[in-house]
Amino acid sequence: MRALLRPAQYLALAAYILFLGFPLLWLISASVKSSGELNSLTVSLLPQQWHWDNYSEALDRQGLIHSAGNSLVVALVSTALVIVIALPASYVLARLKGKVRAAGVGWILTSQVFPVVLVILPLFLILRTIGLADNLFGLTLVHTTYTLPFALWMLQGYVTAIPVDLEEAGAMDGAGRWTVLRAIVFPLLMPGIVATAMFAFVSSWNEFFFALVLLQSPENYTLPITLNMFIGGEGKVSLGPLAAGAVLAAIPSIVFFTILRRKLTSGLMAGAVKG
Amino acid sequence: MKSRRVVVAALAAVTSLVLAACSGSGDSSGPVTLKFQSLSDQPAAIAATNKIVDDWNKAHPDIKVEVVQAGWDGVYDKLITQFNAGSAPDIIHYEAAGVVPFAKDGYLADLTPYLSEQKKSDIPKGVLDSVTVGNQVIAYPTELQSYVVFANKSLLQKAGVTVPAGPTMTWDQLREIAKATTRDGAYGLSWGLSSPTAAMVALAPGFGGKYFEGTGTDAKISIGQGEMALPQLVDAMAHQDNSILPVTLTQSGSKALAPFYAGQTAMTIQGSFQAANIAKDAPAGFDWVVLPPLAGPAGPAQAANPQTLSVNKDSAHVEQAAQFIDFFTNTENLAAINEADALIPPTNSAREALNTKLGAQNGWKEILSSGQYLTSAPYLFVDKYAQWKDTVATPAYQKFLAGQLDAAGLAKELSDGWNSINR
Repeated sequence: MRALLRPAQYLALAAYILFLGFPLLWLISASVKSSGELNSLTVSLLPQQWHWDNYSEALDRQGLIHSAGNSLVVALVSTALVIVIALPASYVLARLKGKVRAAGVGWILTSQVFPVVLVILPLFLILRTIGLADNLFGLTLVHTTYTLPFALWMLQGYVTAIPVDLEEAGAMDGAGRWTVLRAIVFPLLMPGIVATAMFAFVSSWNEFFFALVLLQSPENYTLPITLNMFIGGEGKVSLGPLAAGAVLAAIPSIVFFTILRRKLTSGLMAGAVKG
Repeated sequence: MKSRRVVVAALAAVTSLVLAACSGSGDSSGPVTLKFQSLSDQPAAIAATNKIVDDWNKAHPDIKVEVVQAGWDGVYDKLITQFNAGSAPDIIHYEAAGVVPFAKDGYLADLTPYLSEQKKSDIPKGVLDSVTVGNQVIAYPTELQSYVVFANKSLLQKAGVTVPAGPTMTWDQLREIAKATTRDGAYGLSWGLSSPTAAMVALAPGFGGKYFEGTGTDAKISIGQGEMALPQLVDAMAHQDNSILPVTLTQSGSKALAPFYAGQTAMTIQGSFQAANIAKDAPAGFDWVVLPPLAGPAGPAQAANPQTLSVNKDSAHVEQAAQFIDFFTNTENLAAINEADALIPPTNSAREALNTKLGAQNGWKEILSSGQYLTSAPYLFVDKYAQWKDTVATPAYQKFLAGQLDAAGLAKELSDGWNSINR
């Protein structure tokens, strides 16, 4: 019975990975199919004929690379800002007791209940007044502001999970406040920082509505706005080029995640050793 | 999405009051630059639009037009924010159903003084009505679509059906052909009716249906024989004749093309623009035709919801913007842009020009012919139409087509739903 258990576990894992990866496989498949094949009743994962023109059309048509560059800059900078602000704030929030903490938590939770549509108009007016509407830095600030509450909430959970005893033990050994933070708290917090960074990056990378309203000039468009232009009026969709554009759009995210995943692993190990 | 629109519109109303005092006027001296937010989405249409703009810029060095390319999805939210912040483009591309509410809220310039009698007489009255709010022309129509029947010629001939060739064909003829071609495992018709309301209100004029009397919040709904004729006909074809491929009733128009290509259905009702997709995507050797425009007891009329160009009322250069739109909508340019988008020009002269150029090509003659029957669309001028469409009509039609509601129940839901949201 035990001999069968391991293969069954692998089989279940493979099935789960296939289940998760199937939409991506289907997207890649759609990106190399002709319009005729995409609109036929014959359904197959492998295309009958490989149609690479979708990629050239996607790249030629809407300035996809330029938009991807804009998205990357906005996503990386807003991620960095989120982490820089959320890291000390989450520590204070997690370690603080009393009414101030309750007020902080209340603010975080309250900020999550407002739909974006309620804030977009005043936000647009504020940014316009300070000259940051239709501006990538303005969009970066908006993404940072919008992601920050949840990132803070997320990160303070990781801080709370680090026993205060460890910090006290460090202090007992003669370490100063900064040394405790740098040598004990920060390494243990690394998985949380990485996870929060991933969340912030994906939130910004995929964000559509703020970018749609705030950005007016095509040279400032981010990737979701550019991909959106493959969907036309009257129900017209350029499915092949859209799929090709989406595949290309996924590459920077995959690269970013691959880099961070290593840090996530090392952080976990560091935490395990020190914990 | 729709509820978001309602919220944005409400916010806009409040904010506009605050902003009224802040809005500045532009400088009218020196060379003028106009921002033209275009929604052209097909590569050929983008190229045609850019060419028209380039031609204008060469001929008018003192009035430069800059194209700002935007997408259709979310454009309402974008525009309402822009209008309220005083940063809307000078020239706005959208559809009549989208700009009429903006015109009613006072965001669009009256273009009546710039519309020449010649051009006015070139636009069919029903189409002009669709862009007339009060007595003001608030946009120039640029492109139109109609619903037409695409047919697999081989399947029609195999069933012994003579392909209709008159100026119009009746819905009864369509029903008979659908019955005759429902054989050997194939169905007569595929019709993507996942969002049925647009088709129902657009095709109702052929049966004498209007749906709405009056405008704005005073509009009253009327669900009588004219409005119920088409849904009942579809129901009869789907459930008595069994001549409509059932799954297509729950699909989008584009999805309903796949069984047509595969020879599973002999005909499909689609927006006329699909002619370009069929020409591109149909399997090699697929022999297709467009049947003559459909006519009901009241004729072949269909409600028009044209794509339009309008001018931001707060633009510092309304007159110049109107001049550009006049140029954009001349016969040659309208023919070019509609050829690129496979749509129907809104002026008689451009339609004739396109017919001369493309009439011999498959489908164009019938599609262009259907354009002459496009008429005014009362629903465009009803304030809560979008809400009624999404929350009342579409689910009611879907239940009716699924057999969960009878005709009386459908009529009651459509009326009661309207009266409920328009209180």
